[in-house]
Amino acid sequence: MSSGRRGRISDEEINELISKLQALLPESSRRRNANRSPASKLLKETCSYIKSLHREVDDLSDRLSELMSTMDNDSPQAEIIRSILR
Amino acid sequence: MQGRNCTTGKSSTAFKQELLKNLLRGLRARTDACAFSAMSVHERKRAVKSSADVAMAAARGVGARWPKAILAAAAASTSSNRSSCQVRSSRFRRVARRCFFREKRRGPAAGVAAASSVDVARRLVRRRTMALRKVIPGGDAAMDEASLLREAMDYVVHLRAQVDVLRRVSEAMQIRSSLLRYAPSSIHGQEASSSMRQ
Repeated sequence: MSSGRRGRISDEEINELISKLQALLPESSRRRNANRSPASKLLKETCSYIKSLHREVDDLSDRLSELMSTMDNDSPQAEIIRSILR
Repeated sequence: MQGRNCTTGKSSTAFKQELLKNLLRGLRARTDACAFSAMSVHERKRAVKSSADVAMAAARGVGARWPKAILAAAAASTSSNRSSCQVRSSRFRRVARRCFFREKRRGPAAGVAAASSVDVARRLVRRRTMALRKVIPGGDAAMDEASLLREAMDYVVHLRAQVDVLRRVSEAMQIRSSLLRYAPSSIHGQEASSSMRQ
């Protein structure tokens, strides 16, 4: 993606970005957004989506951290997990 | 750690593989440096989460702002102590609060006439833009609207990849440890890295 272009950004470009971003968001929010005030709804949906992705990452990191904590003992399980990290 | 300027689509697998490699290396480095047993549960979780974010940022490389912001924040938190990081984030909160209040004061002071729907819409967009900046690493930097949208798109795409990689690694670990319970002598192979090659 190009960056660093100074000067006025055309409305066309903004609209294009808005529709591209909309295409990334989950299906359900897309339907709701159909007509009304696309910019602010889009911003809100994007924000919520990023937050929910953050939550997923947190949960998965927690799970991973629990699995890795079995590395603390010398069980064969710990050895297997250690071998994944090698 | 190697970085790469990855876009979506066909190079998404390449990005995930890079992320996975970085993640495993980062986790190994952390456990070598300081055993997980020495950390509290909370510290362990933060270490894994930080490794995941650094792995994602390093795999993304240049071409977006958010990776730099993540790596800078990670470097800052390892070199300095926690208190300085808290000061930095509270400073941002104070600035954000000031901006928000400034906007509120401007509204009623603008006159007795009711705000037009255009003004309301504009204010809403501004408020939501601010909220979006807060959830994107480095989003609070000076950036025009178009750049912010581009950053958001790029970040979302790579966040999804991060979620996918983390899920696969967890599943691979769970499969292995449960298989071990039933057939301890016959565990071979690399589920996580082989599933990455699809």
